[in-house]
Amino acid sequence: MYRFAKAALNLSGQSARQMAVRQKSDMSTEFHAKYGPPLLIAGATFCTAVWAYVVTSTGIAWNLSPVGKVQPKPWQEE
Amino acid sequence: MFTCTVSPTRSLSLSLSLSFHSPPTRVFSRSVSVNSPSRDIRIKLCTFFPPCIFLFVILSSLSSCLRKTMLHVTAGRIAGLLSRRGGAAFSSSSSRMASHGHVGVTEQADMSVPLYCDRLDTPLPDRPYKDTLSAADESLKQKEKGPWNSLSKEEKLTLYRMMFNETYAEMKKPTGEWKTVWGGIFFFIGLTGLVVLWQTHYVYPPQPPTFEDEWQAMQVKRMLDMRVNPVEGFSAKWDYEKGQWK
Repeated sequence: MYRFAKAALNLSGQSARQMAVRQKSDMSTEFHAKYGPPLLIAGATFCTAVWAYVVTSTGIAWNLSPVGKVQPKPWQEE
Repeated sequence: MFTCTVSPTRSLSLSLSLSFHSPPTRVFSRSVSVNSPSRDIRIKLCTFFPPCIFLFVILSSLSSCLRKTMLHVTAGRIAGLLSRRGGAAFSSSSSRMASHGHVGVTEQADMSVPLYCDRLDTPLPDRPYKDTLSAADESLKQKEKGPWNSLSKEEKLTLYRMMFNETYAEMKKPTGEWKTVWGGIFFFIGLTGLVVLWQTHYVYPPQPPTFEDEWQAMQVKRMLDMRVNPVEGFSAKWDYEKGQWK
């Protein structure tokens, strides 16, 4: 079981090689400089779009306070 | 205040007896049971998903800060985990295959000799960056043994670059990694929103009728008639003379 976990964590030996080569990072700085801004914008847009839809249009009851929002309606049967 | 419910998708047969002298009583005859087994399984599956976000945040923050300290092993491990997850496309597959002993393998770094590293906490690495020197480099190294005033600026820079790969300024250069991290965070939060969306359609039970707008309006009027919390609370916010909210 221990050997399995050890192997699972160091599956390809890539982490050991990363130490050996001692690069700055495997996800190099050029990657973040090049793809970082579009990833950020895309992620934020996707997140806001999905959650805006979920919050407003799925029919989830958020149970907000009726004060100031709901107009009373007669309830008694005459 | 998250009561998550959904508008009825399954067929219900309701018989409403609106006798409001006592609290309203309704008779429901529902064609579907409340906790079907498949719904239980879906609930269990869906609660597993939000931890993915926390995992991603923690792993990315850990790897970025550990990279700069002396904790080589954990940093390498975690960075390896991360980069293996997302950077498999960018790392050379041949170096990955080396550990499996496949044919066509690139050379692996020899861990038994001193290695060079660009680290903020290691100003003098174990060996110079360039250890195989050309003839011109060799002659420059000989000149270095003499007085340094005789070296020109370019020679000094060449000698520096022979000894080191990156300057401290270059090492400390901001990476913009945070943009990728936040992008990933937002992506997984968005994915969680999709999971919630799926849940509203497949998991949530039909919404009780007490959430309908008409019921809520009648309930508000009844609460105002009963003078619920008249001092500082609910009815205190209703103007009884004008018949409107204050």
